[in-house]
Amino acid sequence: MRRQQVVGNRQQATGNRQQVIGSRQQATGSRQQAAGGEQQARGKTRRRATAAALGVGVLALLTGVSRAEEPPKLAFVVGKVLVMDKADTVINNAVVLVSGGRIERVGKASEVAIPQGYRRIDMPRHWIVPGFVDCHNHTAGSLSDLNDMVYLSNPGLDTLNTVQPESDDMWMARAGGVTTVLLIPGSGTNISGFGTISKTAGQSVSDVVVRSPGSIKVAQAGNPERYWWGVGRMFMNFNTRQTLEKAQAYHEAWAAFERGETTEKPAFDPIFDGFRGLFRKEFVASVHTQIYQVVMTTVDMLARKMDLRTVLDHSEFDGWKVAPLIREALAAGRSIYTIQGPRAYHLDGTQRKIHGNAARWWQAGNPLLGINTDAPVVAQEQLPFQAAMGCYYGWVPYEGIKGLTRIPAEALLLDDQIGTIEAGKQAEFGVWTGDPLDTRSACEMTVIGGRIVYDAGVRRRW
Amino acid sequence: MRRTRSCRVAGLIAACATTGAGAVPPAKVALTGGRIVPVAGPEIEKGTILIEHGKITAVGASVELPFDAMEVDVSGKVLFPGLVNAHDWQGLDIPNENLDIGAALDVYDAIDPSRLFFENSLRDGVTTVHIIQANNCVIGGISRVVRPIGLDVDEMTVKPRAGVKMSASPKGGYDRMAQWAILREAFAELADYRERLAEQRYEEEQKKLKKDVDVGPAEARKRGAELIRPQDYDDAHANLHELSQGRLDAWVYVGAATDVGPAVKFAKDNGFFERVVFVLGPDTFKAADELKAAGRPVVLDVNLDFRERDPLTGKLKETFVPKVIADAGLTFALLPHPDASLAERYLTYQAARCIREGVARETALAAVTINPAKMLGLGDALGSLEVGKAGNVVVYSDDPLDFNTWVEQVYIDGILAYDRAKDVRIRRLMEEPGAEEKPKAPAGDSAVSDPAQKEDKPGAGEGATDPAKPENKEESQPDSPAPPTPSPEPGDDGASVERASDRADRAESRRRKDNSKSKGGPDA
Repeated sequence: MRRQQVVGNRQQATGNRQQVIGSRQQATGSRQQAAGGEQQARGKTRRRATAAALGVGVLALLTGVSRAEEPPKLAFVVGKVLVMDKADTVINNAVVLVSGGRIERVGKASEVAIPQGYRRIDMPRHWIVPGFVDCHNHTAGSLSDLNDMVYLSNPGLDTLNTVQPESDDMWMARAGGVTTVLLIPGSGTNISGFGTISKTAGQSVSDVVVRSPGSIKVAQAGNPERYWWGVGRMFMNFNTRQTLEKAQAYHEAWAAFERGETTEKPAFDPIFDGFRGLFRKEFVASVHTQIYQVVMTTVDMLARKMDLRTVLDHSEFDGWKVAPLIREALAAGRSIYTIQGPRAYHLDGTQRKIHGNAARWWQAGNPLLGINTDAPVVAQEQLPFQAAMGCYYGWVPYEGIKGLTRIPAEALLLDDQIGTIEAGKQAEFGVWTGDPLDTRSACEMTVIGGRIVYDAGVRRRW
Repeated sequence: MRRTRSCRVAGLIAACATTGAGAVPPAKVALTGGRIVPVAGPEIEKGTILIEHGKITAVGASVELPFDAMEVDVSGKVLFPGLVNAHDWQGLDIPNENLDIGAALDVYDAIDPSRLFFENSLRDGVTTVHIIQANNCVIGGISRVVRPIGLDVDEMTVKPRAGVKMSASPKGGYDRMAQWAILREAFAELADYRERLAEQRYEEEQKKLKKDVDVGPAEARKRGAELIRPQDYDDAHANLHELSQGRLDAWVYVGAATDVGPAVKFAKDNGFFERVVFVLGPDTFKAADELKAAGRPVVLDVNLDFRERDPLTGKLKETFVPKVIADAGLTFALLPHPDASLAERYLTYQAARCIREGVARETALAAVTINPAKMLGLGDALGSLEVGKAGNVVVYSDDPLDFNTWVEQVYIDGILAYDRAKDVRIRRLMEEPGAEEKPKAPAGDSAVSDPAQKEDKPGAGEGATDPAKPENKEESQPDSPAPPTPSPEPGDDGASVERASDRADRAESRRRKDNSKSKGGPDA
C-alpha cells in the first residue's frame, strides 16, 4: 500500500515531468516482494526488540548508567588534552571539569582548582581526545535493513526506523573512542534513504539519536550498477539528478507558499518532504563516491550545481585528482567535506605507483579531510587506525586526529556541540593511554553526554 | 583561469603534464618553418601558423608575427589539423545503457576525463572526439563533442547535445521486427504525448482566462498545439521532440545493408532525415546505391576490409569498403579501432590504407579531419588549418600518413596539450631494455630515492616509516607526472636517437617478414 502511495505521489510532485522510465510494471513485482519482505521483517523486529530489551537491562547493570539521574560531576586529571580547536591548542598536565553533561572548564592543572563535589579521576599519563565521529556507519542500525532496493532511487526510506541503541557493535565503537556516528543506508541504489546521527551509547532510540534526518544518502556510482538490469553512470546520474530536482521543486513550491508568494497550497508528499532540510542546508548529502569521474560528478552535480552541503565518503582510488575542482568550489562558497576511507591507498597500475589516498588529498590542498570506516567493512573501533594508515602513506598525524574529530563534526553540522574539548561543549571524549594514532594506544575511558559510558577499569572490552 | 587549468589536462593527469602548474599558456602562438598540410587548400612547403586566443589568425608562407607571440620553431616538421574522432564510446564507463529508449540520458553523466583513452587520443593527434554511446541500443542518449583535455566534462566540451544515437539494426536479444516495433512505438507515443500535452495546455490557458473548455478534445488539441512551450516537454520526450523537429542530429547505426532502406524511410517519416548521419556496419556498403540516393554522410566501420566466402565455391572475396563509399561520392569519416594495440587505432593509418587502395589523398585526409567536423556541425570551426578555425594543430615529425612518423606536439585551441618530449609514459615504454638498471646520475642531479634521503637525515633510525613528514616524499605534488626517469639525457637528442634505432629495428623486422612471405606464402 505504501509503495502505491510512493508511485502516486511521485507523479504528483513531478507535475508535467513524468517519470521517464517505465518502472511501473517492474514496481508491481517488487511491491509483492516488498510485502513478503515486510512480514519477514516484522518477525525479525519482534525478536530484535526482545533482544534489545534484554541488552538494555544488561547494560544498565554493567555500567550503572541510569537516565533518570543527572549527569555526574567529574574532574579528569590527565597528562595531555588535545583541544582540537582552531588555534590547535594542546594542554599538558591538564584538568577537564565536566558537569551537567557539558565541559565546564579546561585548563592546566596548576591553574584549575577542582571544586568540591567532583569525582576526581586521576590518569596523569593519559590523553583526552575529542570523541571520534564517523560519517559513514552501518552498524548503529540493523544490518539486515541496510539496502532496501525497491527502485533505483528510494528517497522515502529512513534509517531512523532501523536504529538499534544497544548492540555489540556500539559497545565496540565506544570502546574504541568513537562517540558519534552517522548511520546511513547502503549504497545499493542511487538514493537509498535518510541517515541518522546517533551516539554510540544510550538505552533508547530517543537517547541515542542526535539528529534525524542527519543526511540523505546518495550513491553516485559503484554499487547501484547491480540494480535490476544493470545500469551505467549515464542512467544513474540522470536518475539521481532527476530525483533531487523533483525534491528541490517540491521544496521550492512549499517555500514559495510559506513566503506567501502563492495562495495555492502544494500537495503534501511524504517522500520529498524530508528533503526540505537538505535544501535549507540543515543536513548534508552523504555521498558514496570514488574514482575520478564519479567524485567529479558528485562535486559538479551536488555541490556546484545544486549547492548542497556535500560530504564525499570513501573518495578512494584516483578520486584525489578532483582536488582542484574542490578548491575552486570551496572558494566559490560551496561546502564540501572529504571523508576518506576505508581504502587507505590506491595502487595505480598505469603509473606503477602507490598513492596514499588521504595523503594525496591533503597534498592537493583539500583542507576539509576526514576519515571513515564504513563499519562493519572496517570495524568501528578501527577508525583511528584508518587515520594512522593515512599517515603511514604520508598524511600529517595532527591532521589525522583532526580528521577524526573536528572535521567530521563540522561536516555533519555538529561543531557547535562536539568535536573539540572546549568549555560549553558536550562532554564527549575518549581518555587514551597515548597518541590515538599509535596503534598500541588504547582508549581506557569514553565519556558521552558527561557520563562515563566505557571504562576499561570496570569492564575491559579488549 | 580556465586556460591555466587546461594545461593540467585530464587526459594527461597521469602522464605528461606539459607546463608547470600555474603557468599561463601564451595567448599568441606562432608555429614557424614547418610544412603545412591544411587539408583545405594547397600545402605550404615552409610556412607559419599563427594562433591568437585559441583561434587561427594566419596561415601562410610569410606571416608577420605580433611582437608578443610565442614563436615555436617547427622547421622540418609537418603541421596538420587536429584529427577528429567521429564516433566513439570510449571515455564512457560502459558502451551502452541497457534501456530501450534512453533519449533522456546524456553522455555528460558518464564521460570520464581521466580515461587513458583521452590521453592516447592526444598521443595519436586527435584533438576532437565525438563521445556517443555504442550501437547496442534502440534509442540511445545524447552525445557530446569534447576535446581530450580538461579536468571536468564542462571544460572538455566543444559542443553539447551533438546528437541522438539510434540503431536501425537489432539490439542484442531483439530481432529486426522487435527493434522496429520499439522504434515506431517511441515516435507514435511521442505523437500521442504531444496531443495530450496540447489538450492540457489549452485547458490551462482557458483556466487562466477564467473560461470554460467549450470545445471537444479534438478541437482542444488543435488549438492547444500552438500553446505548447518547449519547457512543457518532459525529459522523456523533450529530446525526441527536438529530433522530430529537425533540431537535433541523429546518428543512426545501420549494421547491415538490409537496414538502410527502412532507416532512410524512418528518418524521412519522422522529420530528421536532413540531420541524419549513418553509422555503417561491416557490410552495409553493399547498399551503396541506396546510401548514394540518400546522400547523407556516413561513418565507416573500423574494419576497412570486408571479407566473405562464396558459399558454393569457397572463394574468398575481399572488398575495401572506403573505396566503394568514395566511388559512390559519399562524404565519409573513418574511425579509430578501440583496441589500442592495433595499428587501426591510428586514424592516420586508416587514411593511409585508403590511399593504398586507390582513394584520393584529399578524400582520405578529409575523412579524418574536415568530414567528421562537418558531420558534427563544426565544419566552420574545426577540421582544417584555416583562418578563423580553432587552433587545433598537430606537429608531426614527418608526413602524417607515414607510419614511422611521430606526433611531436599537439595544440588544442592554442594550448600546448601534448609534448612528446615530456611524455613520461611513452619515454618509459620506449626505453631500451636494461636502461632502468643503468647507474644513476651523480647525487644531487636526479631525484634522490627514499633510502638515500633517510641516510642523509640525522636520527633516521627512528622508525622506518615516519608518518609525520609527507613533504619528504619524493613527490609533494600530486599532479606531477609519473616517477622520474632514470634515462641519462631526457632531451630531444636522446629521443631522436632512440627513434632512429627504433626505426631501424622496425625496418629490419619488416624485411624479415617480407622474406618469409615471399618464400613460404601461399601467393608465392
